[in-house]
Amino acid sequence: MDRTERLLNLVAFFLDARAPMSLDAIRDAFPDDYSGSNDASQRKFERDKAELYELGIPLRYEQKTDDEDSGYLLDREAYYLPEPGFSADELAVLYAAGSAALTSGAFPGRQDLAHALRKIGFFADTPIPAAQVRLEVSNAKDLAARLETIWAAIGARKSLDLDYFSPRARAATTRKVDPWGLALRRGVWNLVGWCHLRKELRTFHVNRIRRVTLLGTRPRQPDFDIPEKFSIDDHVANWPWEYRIHEPLEVTLSLDETLAPLSQQLFGTPARGGTLRVTVTHLDALLDQVLSMGTSAKVIGPSQAKDRLRERAQRVLSVHTGAQS
Amino acid sequence: MTPTAASDRLRRLLFLVPYVSKHPGRTVDEVAQAVGCTRNELIEELDLVTLVGHPPFQPDDFVDIYVEDDRVFVQFDQRLSAPPRLTAAEGVALASAAAILEPQKESALSVALQKLERVLPEEAASRYRELTRRLDVGARGADALSELTRAVVEHREIEFDYVGVARGEREQRRVRPIELLSHRGQWYLRAFCLARNGERLFRSDRIASLKLTETTFTPEGDGKAERPVTETGKSVRERVEVTVRFSPALAPYQQERFGDAGRLEGDGSLTVTVPGDSESWLVRWILSFGGEARVVAPEWAIRVVAQAAAASLQSL
Repeated sequence: MDRTERLLNLVAFFLDARAPMSLDAIRDAFPDDYSGSNDASQRKFERDKAELYELGIPLRYEQKTDDEDSGYLLDREAYYLPEPGFSADELAVLYAAGSAALTSGAFPGRQDLAHALRKIGFFADTPIPAAQVRLEVSNAKDLAARLETIWAAIGARKSLDLDYFSPRARAATTRKVDPWGLALRRGVWNLVGWCHLRKELRTFHVNRIRRVTLLGTRPRQPDFDIPEKFSIDDHVANWPWEYRIHEPLEVTLSLDETLAPLSQQLFGTPARGGTLRVTVTHLDALLDQVLSMGTSAKVIGPSQAKDRLRERAQRVLSVHTGAQS
Repeated sequence: MTPTAASDRLRRLLFLVPYVSKHPGRTVDEVAQAVGCTRNELIEELDLVTLVGHPPFQPDDFVDIYVEDDRVFVQFDQRLSAPPRLTAAEGVALASAAAILEPQKESALSVALQKLERVLPEEAASRYRELTRRLDVGARGADALSELTRAVVEHREIEFDYVGVARGEREQRRVRPIELLSHRGQWYLRAFCLARNGERLFRSDRIASLKLTETTFTPEGDGKAERPVTETGKSVRERVEVTVRFSPALAPYQQERFGDAGRLEGDGSLTVTVPGDSESWLVRWILSFGGEARVVAPEWAIRVVAQAAAASLQSL
């Protein structure tokens, strides 16, 4: 009997069972599968049990006063998916989000997502409308496969061995990284993890990871712990001016009445009376954003930021008027 | 965590029997689609399922699933009346996907997520909570994404002010939403604009004072974009090409973005030709590189960028 068939039969067997099943009873029911010595068949059954557990089908051992009555059982109440009771709209948005992630081609846990979508749609009496949400993720070669490897490592807390390409150096370095989390920002996947090469917490663009493999031989034993207070968001830039290039600097901007209502969307913070403050660690990125808004956005201070803005505007002008070629 | 091929197949089979039980008589193609496999794979799976039974494996002990007239039936099987519950990993995948749309409190999406969490098995719940903290897809744009999603899903006409950022214009629009799409991390709404009587793309971060109306409409077609999206995020109507050179400092990063479409020059700079469909987009885009990008052709494009830079300098 092949593995899938045996596992499926096991599920059916336990769903039928009205009492705990001893290992002897299981071996009697599947004589060809669990043959050999007691130890060998016990190990084989344990592997199957672990696999079923991963699929959300926990078999537990029930110890009765009489050893003969003890054995494994599957809690039928806990097995079946209950009806989640989604309204049509709730199901439609959940489905739209899920299908958008799935069809993007680069979302960790794709198989899990596909199975989950099937399950939540199970109770729907009418067909779920076609999704109208689309997600395009910067799609480097093999990105999907690398995301799966990283996500699996995060779940099992296993270290990764990877080659990371630096565009500046135009070369890749090999390093060991403990993956702490994945974040999608501005269409790009970021891996946050402890870098054993630099001995600090680092953020990596998954696009720039050229090769990645799981390290370690004991798959069920975690390689590292993640501090309770760790939050991925503290380590990834939500805006280009949050890249860590220099010490934090507070910049004050003013927006005209057309742009002011959009302040939250454009700069991540609301404008009061047309002005707002942004803390930057990459000043040029903020200035370039301001520059691209024409005369509707202005830098109020500090003077260092105003001077730098003038410099950058001057530079755009000179490269476009033949002063440089 | 890493499902083996066998377990992946098993998950499919444990869904297949309950699905056919609940929807007897669906065609082979329909069932294949619902289960997420090809027609041929489904036929193979059906063969395997008929081998599933319980000891002593008498004829009546097997799952009785069969195809008749290209339609799939199963003799009602009490044991497999519903699929198994969601695993922690399945719940996390779904919750993370939902987070992309930045669900607001009490929106349909966040209510759906609460219901989802309630149907997770107890032993999966803590793992679910731990893993959702490890996968963060929420952009912090605070765009009107949640409301836009609702409008798209419920087919409701919406009204908003659309802001032309570089020109400082603000226009009132009433549109029928077709699709919400994220391109390079920027969300766009593709919609039929009732004022312009045509399809338009709107950047979500330029939408202000959004209002959902009570007017609903019947969507046309399958809701898929017919036209490709350009770098500007707009559909290509008139194809105008602009050639831009990035400084050696910026070249390696832009090369990542443009790949083979870029040409690396002897001095380390990078030349790319991009389709652009509006002057204001071009100006905004070039200015956003603060002098590290130079338009080399056509002449008019060089001129408008220089004018915009001069205007900015004057206003400082």
